[in-house]
Amino acid sequence: MTETAKKTETVRVSRRFEASPERVFDAWLNPKVAGRFLFATPTGTMIKAEVDPRVGGHFTFIDRRPDMGDVEHVGTWLEIDRPRRLVFEFAVPAYEPTRTRITLDFAPDGAGCALTLTHEGVFEEYVTQTNHGWGMILESLERALQG
Amino acid sequence: MLDETLLALADPTRRAILARLAEGEARVTEIAAPFAISLNSVSKHIRMLERAALVERRREGREHILALNPAGLDQAADWIEGQRSLWAWRLGRLDAALQEEP
Repeated sequence: MTETAKKTETVRVSRRFEASPERVFDAWLNPKVAGRFLFATPTGTMIKAEVDPRVGGHFTFIDRRPDMGDVEHVGTWLEIDRPRRLVFEFAVPAYEPTRTRITLDFAPDGAGCALTLTHEGVFEEYVTQTNHGWGMILESLERALQG
Repeated sequence: MLDETLLALADPTRRAILARLAEGEARVTEIAAPFAISLNSVSKHIRMLERAALVERRREGREHILALNPAGLDQAADWIEGQRSLWAWRLGRLDAALQEEP
């Protein structure tokens, strides 16, 4: 059951694209394209998308949501290794200044590209947001699930 | 309920209680024994765990038997699944954007 607890710390999603790794990679750094998907939500409208596409550079995305108003996401590029790997961290400061990390791995797949997204610290993000102290909670989840 | 679950988990005594119950059901008095706090305090912690649906209580004669309710932890797991779905949806949007801009 320890496995189950570990999975809750990290979200991983994979998808294949009919486009070269370079094109899929560049989409994340181009604000015009990134504004259409990155930090977008099904009911929101992206009203701001700014990207400084270099290591240490910042980005800002503001998604206007009918239920929550303007939700600002800010972050920093940590690793830009075109077209293999892109790493950034981000936060939603209005809720919680603690940043969580996204790692994108791009691999050629025939004529297309296989992308794996790994979001680390998701559970921590939520829990600090509710001010309940996260590290101990994960630890307890793991212990509780060991039964 | 998710907030209650997280709040219930945010205390070392309550986590210790859950860890004990993860090994198997136990009487309230057995749960309380290792703690250097009053039975009354332990009972309060147990009630919080019950409210969060992490622990279930049943009576056998005069004894109250406690058991872990793993389903209570499923909510936290569901929230994680929601995050996964959101990223999957975003990658679908990326796919659409790439197809529209050859």
